[in-house]
Amino acid sequence: MRRFGELESAVMDRLWARDEPSTVRDVLDELRAHRSIAYTTVMTVMDNLYKKRWLTRQLDGRAYRYRPVASRDQYSAALMHTAFDESGDRAAALVSFLDQMSAEDTEAVRNALRKLRRRTR
Amino acid sequence: MIVALLLLSYAGGLSVLAPRVLTGRGWTVRAPRLAVAAWQVLIVSVLAATFMAGLALAVPTVPIRVGLSELLRACEMALRAGYATPGHAAMAATGLLLSGGVALRLGYWLVRWALTVRRQRRAHLDALTLVGRPSPELGAVVVGHAAAAAYCLPGRHRRIVLTSAALGALDGDQLRAVLGHELAHLRGRHDLVLALADVVARALPFVPLFIAARGELRALIEMVADDVAAGDHDRDVLASALLSVAEGSAPAATLAAGGPTAAVRIRRMLSPAHPLTRMSRFGVGLTVGAAFFLPIFVAGAPAAMASNQPYCPVGEPTSLQLAPVARQICAAPVPEGCTRGHSSHVLRAGSR
Repeated sequence: MRRFGELESAVMDRLWARDEPSTVRDVLDELRAHRSIAYTTVMTVMDNLYKKRWLTRQLDGRAYRYRPVASRDQYSAALMHTAFDESGDRAAALVSFLDQMSAEDTEAVRNALRKLRRRTR
Repeated sequence: MIVALLLLSYAGGLSVLAPRVLTGRGWTVRAPRLAVAAWQVLIVSVLAATFMAGLALAVPTVPIRVGLSELLRACEMALRAGYATPGHAAMAATGLLLSGGVALRLGYWLVRWALTVRRQRRAHLDALTLVGRPSPELGAVVVGHAAAAAYCLPGRHRRIVLTSAALGALDGDQLRAVLGHELAHLRGRHDLVLALADVVARALPFVPLFIAARGELRALIEMVADDVAAGDHDRDVLASALLSVAEGSAPAATLAAGGPTAAVRIRRMLSPAHPLTRMSRFGVGLTVGAAFFLPIFVAGAPAAMASNQPYCPVGEPTSLQLAPVARQICAAPVPEGCTRGHSSHVLRAGSR
C-alpha cells in the first residue's frame, strides 16, 4: 500500500487554501501552474484521499465536488493528541522530547536555571 | 530437575532483586547507556533461564557429541528411559508447558506489537505528510499547533516533528539541541529498546523485573539522548531548550504519567557531567556479564559432565554410580544400530 507523497500533500494544500467544494478540474488547474500533470493522476489522488476519509464529496451535475473533512488545524490537534496520548500504545509509535510538566515543576526548574545563570555570569 | 530448579530460582531471584538494584537515581543516572544495556541483558537472561528450565525438565540430558546421528541416537535412548516412568513424564510435561508457554506468549505479543506499530506508524506518517510542512533545512516536519512540542517517528520512514509553537519558543542553538536529541533517539533505535520492554511486560506480566523495566527504560533513553545532544551542543542550552518546551506546552489537566522525568532531566543537565569511573563501569559490566552467562553454564553443565563419563560397560555395571534407569538401559536389549561398549552412546551417570 503506497504511502502519501508530495502530490497528495499538494492537493490537500490546494483544497484547504480554496476553502470551498472543488472539482478535480479546479485543483488540476491550480496544480498545473507549477508542474505538468495529467487529469487522471489528480483524479486518482483525490479519489484515493476520499477513500481514506480525508476528503468528502458530493455529486454536482456530472462531476464530484471534493472538500477536506476537517481543517488543517483540527487535523494538527488530532495529530498532537495521538502523539502525546498517555493511554494508548504510545511507546509503540513515537518517542517524544518531553512529557508534560506540572506548573510546580516548571517553576522549580526555572528557579534553578536562574540560579545557574547568575553563578556562571 | 536440579538444573531446572536452579534456573527457575535464578530467574525468580533476579526478577525480584534486580529492580531494587537498578531502580533509583544512583549510578544509572550517571551512566544511562550502561544502565540500558544492563536492563536489556537481564531481561534476556531471565527469559532464557526460564525457557531453559522448561527444556531441562522436558528433555533428558544427553552428552555433547559431535556427530548428529550419534546425538540423535543418544537422545532416543535417553528419551525412552525418561518417559518409561510416569513421574518423569509428568515432569517433562510441566517443562514443555513452561517453555512452550513462554515461547508462545512472547511470539504472540511480538507479532502483535509488530503489526500494531506498522499500522500506527503508517497512519501517522500519512497524516504528517498531509498536515505538516517539511522543513529541509531543519530536517524535520513542522506542524501548526499552539502548544510547543517535539517528537520523532521511528522506523523505516523516520521523521522528526516540531510544532510551530516550539519553533517560536526556541532560538537557533536550542533548536539544534532538540533536533540532536531526537536524532539520538532515531539513531540509537530507542524504539526497539522500549519495544523489548513492552513486549515482555505484556507477555509475562507477573515478573517484577519486566514491569519495572518499562518505566525505567523510558526515563533512561531520554537521558541517553540528552547526553548525546549535550555532547554536540551545550548542556545549558539543552536545559534551557527543555524548559522552553515545557513552558510552551499546554498545561496538563492532570499530572502526566511521565511527571518527574522532565524536572530530573533538566536538573541533570544543569549540574555538571559526573560520569562513572572506569572501575565502576567495569564492575557493572562484570556483574551483568556474570548474570548473563550463569544460566547458560547451569543449563549446559550436565551435558558437558556427561560427556566425560565412560560409556555403557560391557556386562555388569562398574563401581560408577549408575542411576537405576541407566542400569536398566545397560541391561536391556541393545536397540537397533547401537553396539554395546561403543563410544557412540553414553548415558549420563547420576540422577537428574
